[in-house]
Amino acid sequence: MSRERHIIILALLALLPITALAESPTAAALSYTCAGCHGTDGSSVGPSSPSIAGMDPEIFIDAMQDYKVDKRNATIMNRIAKAYSDEQIKGMAWYFAKQKLELLPQSTDTQLVELGTTLHDKYCEKCHEEGGRSGDTGTLAGQWMPYLDYAMEDFIAGRRDYPRKMKRKVDAAIKAEGEQAMPALIHYYGSQHNSAQKEASHE
Amino acid sequence: MSKINRRDFIRVTAGAGLVGGTLGFPGLLMAASPKVVVIGGGVGGCTAAKYLRKLDPKIEVTLIETKKAYTSCFMSNEVLSGDRTLESLTFDYEGLKRHGVNIVIDRVTAIDLAMKSVATESGESFNYDACVVSPGVDFKWDAIEGYDAEVAETIPHAWFAGPQTMTLRKQIESMPEGGKVIIVAPPNPYKCPPGPYERAAQIAMYCKHHKPRAKILILDPKDRFSKQGLFRQGWSKLYGFGTDDSMIEWVGAAGGGTVEELDPSTRTLQAEVEEFQADVINIIPPQKAGKVAFASDLVEGDWCPVDKLTFESTRHPNVFVLGDASSAAKMPKSAYAANSQAKVAAAAIVARFNGQDPGEPTFVNTCYSILGEAHGISVAAVYSLDREANTIMPIKGSGGLSPMDASEEQRKREVSYAHSWFKNVIDDMMG
Amino acid sequence: MNKKIAGPLAWFFLGATLLFLYILPAHSAVEVMTVLGEEAPPGFDPVTGKRVIPTVRCLKCHGDESEQTDVDDDGNEIEIYIPPHKFEDSVHGKRRCAECHANITRVPHRQEPEVVVGCIECHRQTWDANKDKPDNEFKRLGVVIEQIEKYQDSVHARPEDEDDPSVLNAGCYDCHDAHNIGTLGSHQRDEHRLENPEVCGECHRKQRNKYKKSVHGKAVMEDGDSEAAVCSDCHTMHEIDSPEGDKVMLQITTNCGNCHEESRQTYRSSYHGQVNKLGYTHTAKCYDCHGGHNVLAIKDPASAVHEENRLETCRQCHEDAPEGFIGFHPHGNANDFEKYPVMWITAKFMQALIIGILAFFWVHVMLWFYREYQDRKAGKSFAHPKPGDDTVYIRRFTATWRWIHLLFAVSTMILVLSGTTLLFSHTAWASFVMDMLGGPKVEAILHRTAATIWLSVFLVHFFIAMTNIVRNRKTFRWFGPSSMVPNLQDLRDVGAMFSWFFGRRERPSFDRFSYWQKFDYWAPFWGAAVIGFSGLMLFIPTLTASFLPGWVFNIATIVHAEEALLATMFLFTVHFFNSHFRPDRFPMSTIMFTGAVPLEEFKFEHRLEYERLKESGELEKMLVKPPSRTMEKGSQALAAVLIFAGLGLLTLVFIGYMTMPG
Repeated sequence: MSRERHIIILALLALLPITALAESPTAAALSYTCAGCHGTDGSSVGPSSPSIAGMDPEIFIDAMQDYKVDKRNATIMNRIAKAYSDEQIKGMAWYFAKQKLELLPQSTDTQLVELGTTLHDKYCEKCHEEGGRSGDTGTLAGQWMPYLDYAMEDFIAGRRDYPRKMKRKVDAAIKAEGEQAMPALIHYYGSQHNSAQKEASHE
Repeated sequence: MSKINRRDFIRVTAGAGLVGGTLGFPGLLMAASPKVVVIGGGVGGCTAAKYLRKLDPKIEVTLIETKKAYTSCFMSNEVLSGDRTLESLTFDYEGLKRHGVNIVIDRVTAIDLAMKSVATESGESFNYDACVVSPGVDFKWDAIEGYDAEVAETIPHAWFAGPQTMTLRKQIESMPEGGKVIIVAPPNPYKCPPGPYERAAQIAMYCKHHKPRAKILILDPKDRFSKQGLFRQGWSKLYGFGTDDSMIEWVGAAGGGTVEELDPSTRTLQAEVEEFQADVINIIPPQKAGKVAFASDLVEGDWCPVDKLTFESTRHPNVFVLGDASSAAKMPKSAYAANSQAKVAAAAIVARFNGQDPGEPTFVNTCYSILGEAHGISVAAVYSLDREANTIMPIKGSGGLSPMDASEEQRKREVSYAHSWFKNVIDDMMG
Repeated sequence: MNKKIAGPLAWFFLGATLLFLYILPAHSAVEVMTVLGEEAPPGFDPVTGKRVIPTVRCLKCHGDESEQTDVDDDGNEIEIYIPPHKFEDSVHGKRRCAECHANITRVPHRQEPEVVVGCIECHRQTWDANKDKPDNEFKRLGVVIEQIEKYQDSVHARPEDEDDPSVLNAGCYDCHDAHNIGTLGSHQRDEHRLENPEVCGECHRKQRNKYKKSVHGKAVMEDGDSEAAVCSDCHTMHEIDSPEGDKVMLQITTNCGNCHEESRQTYRSSYHGQVNKLGYTHTAKCYDCHGGHNVLAIKDPASAVHEENRLETCRQCHEDAPEGFIGFHPHGNANDFEKYPVMWITAKFMQALIIGILAFFWVHVMLWFYREYQDRKAGKSFAHPKPGDDTVYIRRFTATWRWIHLLFAVSTMILVLSGTTLLFSHTAWASFVMDMLGGPKVEAILHRTAATIWLSVFLVHFFIAMTNIVRNRKTFRWFGPSSMVPNLQDLRDVGAMFSWFFGRRERPSFDRFSYWQKFDYWAPFWGAAVIGFSGLMLFIPTLTASFLPGWVFNIATIVHAEEALLATMFLFTVHFFNSHFRPDRFPMSTIMFTGAVPLEEFKFEHRLEYERLKESGELEKMLVKPPSRTMEKGSQALAAVLIFAGLGLLTLVFIGYMTMPG
């Protein structure tokens, strides 16, 4: 092989990382494809697929990585998550974190909401700050209730790993209020779309 | 060499790109804002219109559609079971108007490719810098003798959600107990591949409660069909499939399931091997690209070939064909696929207007089928473009079907997620 | 391809690729991080993409006063409470928790937090980045950096176990609560002081328990007096080391004085303190008498220095100390008339003596210099013999007296050097000299040896003088010319001398001994007695105290030092002038070493004696040959050495005297 050719190959090798980068769609383009289930820019119109707009990016990454390795119980997300590289997951996480969360009202039971308020304040507020608004522990306030229900079923049934310390709190809430505890909390969060939204729009 | 910093470099290259880009869009040099005409108010057309406005509000988007309201075909099988009304599938275009899309209810006659304008029946014409064509499918009426558009009024295809869906629903309702329904499935490719089989399940769901001795027979010109294993498992669990007493029966090509002729008066079907008579017949004819595509010289064979990087027609520049009408192997003809393709096309059009290269495309398809009140199944795929093969390839190791033998809880959740998918995809395209 | 252009073209291609892809982008300013075109969301650092955890988020759990504990992953209860207002008021109040707790990247933390607080690293980096800033915002950090350096050399920074260097005896956070470090003058600092005994006591339990019962401990731990001494006041904050070492013993002694300033000063003017000040630790230190951790008020009957216990305490070192020791004032202060009147009076008397004598003789010296200089200019003087001249000399001192003078001079100088080294222990030269001498113990031997020689010389002289007097008792005239006893003529001579100084008469003539020569003689004679006697008392304290009260040591110390100073300053100024530096003698006189004086000079200086001797015919008997050349040269060298040594000592003494504290 001639020397010139060596040099040209070297130059092409230098180009490689850029080429590799160009092989991924942008984070926005990847994120658009989620809208069919999670709503435009991640604000789901229900009834059960969760809103992921304004979601904490690391919670997003946790979820996707867990789905990717079948660590978290899933119907369809495990199959989808496997398609994405770590970088793509992070890009999407950042994209959705910046989207404004639009929430819709859900019908809730007043008595359950009342009980749920008490339970939340006592067992959940420290981690799920400000009534479970979007934050570093995910989005609970105004989240779709069936989704919350599935999540709690999975936690309690051992199909999903509790985050550190959460089990203790859930057990304590159930010990205190029995079978009503989880529905009460879910109704409480389901009732929070207004406050969560109002606050979110201030940011 | 004078000092050149990175920003200057970008400016120079962007400028060069702009010059190159405007060569392809000479109109841009005069027009203040680029114009896009979208033909077809289905999933592909609506999504493209909405995302074009979302990505660049300077773009003037006009969507031309024949019907005042959109009725989704997806979920329309639920009308047959009685779980849903047709009205719950019908949506107006007010949402798109709020996004600044100009909605024109009219019928496009043809695209003047040379003049870059679209003409309508009412005599109007719309200039475009880019034209999005998303007409959906049309039927090949000559495939089954004795079956045509007129006959379809009484022996419905119900493959576009609308009056025929109601006709089919009424025919089933008025069918005697122990009656027989035949569904004639189409050959590949056709829109909504699992649709005929979900339809069988939805009819069975109705019959299970109201006409428990009824039979549903699927005559299929294929030997295999979408989500086959999951359907068979679901059918058997819910409707006794595989037993002598099964409510649903499927005859594939090898069993003589290919239908050749219909006698509408006796509701008799002549298949390859034998004749079938039924109380209710639902024929889903073979399909091809919508009429506008043919009228505008965008078709090769039955479908419109496209550059899958942008979904621009390979036959004519600045025309982008989306959804069921396009030839987008290996994506199926589904709502989610059209939605996904529309976003890729919208981004590519915006990039071109801005003198940039189209970004790397990404596609997703998810498709749910509801077999019973608490029994949903799905298929999912994430795709990337293999440029060399001009093929949209599923990403290895990802996607696929719901697991066989999943728990009842999982199947039940998939129904709920199917409904979520429906609401969100509608909202994403026109909300 | 054309081979000629292919090479350069290929190189150009490679160069351009590298330039645009790697070199140019690297030149841009701080880059905002993007992931596939997406910038970091709010709450994340735009450059690093890392989460920024606000303090308020951490305080959600850690700042809840109503829930100050939690359980760890093993189910053990742990303290998690950080008082929010304390933290916010602290010097670190504006820092985010995760800046120090660097392994916490998310909240709620997914793993148990390790304490990954890089105190030293962070403070150093911050200092390096900000030390050159013109405003004083980071000035205090400079102090922190100094403390860090001290800490790193301290025993705390050494590994607990030599085989495992990762576990130190004590790390920063063993003593500091980083969440509650106050700025200067803040309430946190007072609190931190009050907590100091408990913080140190966490490891040093035995010491804490002793301290608790001490006068300091009670003030701090019972009365909450943040002004009272805590551990770090004596042991330092960061320079902690074993109290067995000299450095720490000296440091603690110094540190006691940071509060007990007067006591430190008075201690340092005592022998104990002088040695200590010079860096030696074998003499009594504060805690040797008062007790260390268990120090009590003097009035407390349990105190080691309470009158009842004091002798026992002295006997720790002075094994045979008699009762008399109790009367000694270890912190006696000659400036404090109220408490120590005898010391005050003694000191004042001695000072007056010094000032009076020196004042008189320095004036005498100056006037003499002036007049003699004028006379010499006017040719009213004798001519110094030129070398080789066959000058006639007269014998003035016998060999015995010359030897006595030399021994006396040398031993005096040794005494001055070794004595003032202690007296002026505050000076830099003192430490240097003490180290040269080999420490206070060697110094003591030296001083006492010299003192013994000195006293012996004095006694031998006294004996010879007395023998001579006795032998010549028939002819010896107490007030005659050969007697050193001052007489009326001396008084008249003083008047005559002053008249000459002022030009009112010719230079007076003298007999064998002039009045200043008599003074030069009597000054050391008196000095020898006083210094010798006081020195002897201090030399044998046990014996002294067995029949004298202890306070005589205080008096003896004053008298000994002041008299020695007077002698030193007199000898090396007035005596040197009279004998060597006045214009007739300058630069030196060797008479005391050769023993002979040129007849001309003798005639001039001691005209009366000359005439008397001539008359009696004794003069002929006393005439001698000029000293040999060797003798002359040797004497000059010896005189020069002694003069320079004397002037050197004088300089040291002046430095010490002028810089004397208090």
